[in-house]
Amino acid sequence: MKNSLAFEFSLARRFLEENKLQTLLIVLGIAIGVAVMVFLTALIDGLQADLIQKTVGKAPHIVVTSAEAGSQEAVKSVDGHKVLMIDTTQKDQRPIGEYHTLVNAIWADQRIRAVLPVVDGSGLIRRGQVTRGVLLRGFDLDQADRIYDISNSVIEGNRKPINNSVLIGKDLAVDLGVSAGDPILLELPGQDPLALMVDGIFDLGVSAINQRWLVMDQRQAAALLGIGDQVTSLELQVQDVFLSEQIARAWSSKLPNYQLESWQETNAQLLTALKSQSSSSYTIQFFVLLAVILGVASVLAINAVQKSKQIGILKAMGIRTNSVARAFMIQGVVLGLMGSISGFGLGIFLTKIFILLAGQQLTLLLKPLSVVVILGSTMLSATLSAYLPARRVSQLNPIEVIRNG
Amino acid sequence: MDNVLLKTINTTKEFGQEIKSPVLFGINLEIQAGEFVSMIGSSGSGKSTLLNILGALDRPTTGEVIIDGTNLGHLSDDQLAYFRNRTIGFIFQSHFLLPQFTVLENVLIPYLIYAGKAPTEIKARALDLLDRVGLIHRKDNRANAISGGEQQRVAIARSLINHPRIILADEPTGNLDSKNTQKVFEMLKSINRDYQTTFIMVTHDHALAASCDRLLKLKDGLIIEDLDLLKQPLPKEEDRCAPSILE
Repeated sequence: MKNSLAFEFSLARRFLEENKLQTLLIVLGIAIGVAVMVFLTALIDGLQADLIQKTVGKAPHIVVTSAEAGSQEAVKSVDGHKVLMIDTTQKDQRPIGEYHTLVNAIWADQRIRAVLPVVDGSGLIRRGQVTRGVLLRGFDLDQADRIYDISNSVIEGNRKPINNSVLIGKDLAVDLGVSAGDPILLELPGQDPLALMVDGIFDLGVSAINQRWLVMDQRQAAALLGIGDQVTSLELQVQDVFLSEQIARAWSSKLPNYQLESWQETNAQLLTALKSQSSSSYTIQFFVLLAVILGVASVLAINAVQKSKQIGILKAMGIRTNSVARAFMIQGVVLGLMGSISGFGLGIFLTKIFILLAGQQLTLLLKPLSVVVILGSTMLSATLSAYLPARRVSQLNPIEVIRNG
Repeated sequence: MDNVLLKTINTTKEFGQEIKSPVLFGINLEIQAGEFVSMIGSSGSGKSTLLNILGALDRPTTGEVIIDGTNLGHLSDDQLAYFRNRTIGFIFQSHFLLPQFTVLENVLIPYLIYAGKAPTEIKARALDLLDRVGLIHRKDNRANAISGGEQQRVAIARSLINHPRIILADEPTGNLDSKNTQKVFEMLKSINRDYQTTFIMVTHDHALAASCDRLLKLKDGLIIEDLDLLKQPLPKEEDRCAPSILE
């Protein structure tokens, strides 16, 4: 004969109902723990998602270059001084010849959402007494919009450069003191200065770009750099930014003559920082959970001792050891369930209040997986913390209890 | 008439792991179905230990206990728990009701432990039992909201719910005043009469012990007296020439 689970449930229920204040306090304790975890997770995941969006939202996720590096260092004479020019933002690579085939092949991959052939080079812009090093970027603007959204970022002048005209960044325009329609002088290594017209000024929100970019049509850039129908790199965006590294690796093995670098490799430091941030958040959550466990365990342990007489008589009347233990475990599960559900609600409420008080644009992100992990670990902890007192009390010897009662 | 319900064979009990302290020395006892047996003895005589062993709450160190044809030594702990639930009713000095449950629910608990839910006929039985102990009007009260005497009567009703063959009563009137003592004892006697339930009652109350069918006196872990009071009633307490059996 088995003991009835229904009876174990009603025993657990009556024990919980008996001391409503105590039950309420444990539930509240668990709820606060869960609320803190929900809040912390939502805040940190939201901040990280924001940061990653800012980092890679308007940037290539993977850059394809040819495997062998070429040198584009140049010694130039600037204002009578010899200057060694090395482009530091972009490693100068040997150009990619058959890029059309490559673009088509990559486009066939469903995980890729944008492919942009780019002709890069570096040069100097001179206007009056001011000289600035620039990154010459040649690409098809329509395609570039899929990554950079330049057309919508133009704050002055035309949205599209026509022949011999260029778009420059906001900060560069300020440095040079030019506005749309003004001419500038571009010097490329080993070439005579070339007069160009600033057709438009853009603001991409990143000062490194706004200070250095000189955007023109791909063909024009290729012609200026003398590389024919070739490009220096392909810039890709993928559907899921976190798969970039994986996708880059997969393509790397298919394209041995090319080098693929994902944003994760380029931004290794950022990722390390994010990981440390996550680790500290996990550590806090772990200790919150530990406090919850200790709270539940201690209250249930006291509860169990208070009920030892009743358990003794139940055992005399034939309840089994396991059955008593289960009745206490059920209490743990019920407390965990009530605590996590109300804590989840409280956590959501807290985050809403926080957004309201913070005033600024804050993203709070609660991934379904995080929710499952928080609620699951709380439930598991509450059950486990009920286990020890349950075991102890279930092994009570009825004779001792009755004799000492 | 030989209808042995309970039998012990050379039952001994020792406590302690390293330093053994023997409490019972070879108890051989036979109790007939329907007998009302009282057990007396000073504290330390081993009567509580014997009662726990007879009640399947404790196992003897050596020897055997056979109740209703079942050798308890052959049962696992869980089987023993079920055996207690079906065969033995307990009444203790303290009532040990569960305060979280109502009076009626307390009476039903020994049934609910295994069945979970009580069908109508079991509820009717519980109500009958409550009526019998005169507490039908208290059935929906919380168990801790009634008086001590009433609680002990609820405990009696509870001990009967599963139709036990034996009821073990450990000083059932120990906490009661003389009026309630008499009331509870009369109740036990009437149950014994009506249901042929076997009673083994430990008591310090000599008047009660003298009113039973049979009297066992324990001393230093042995039964030193075993009197059939049906054949040889004890003289009244006030009789100055009474034997010192109860002392």
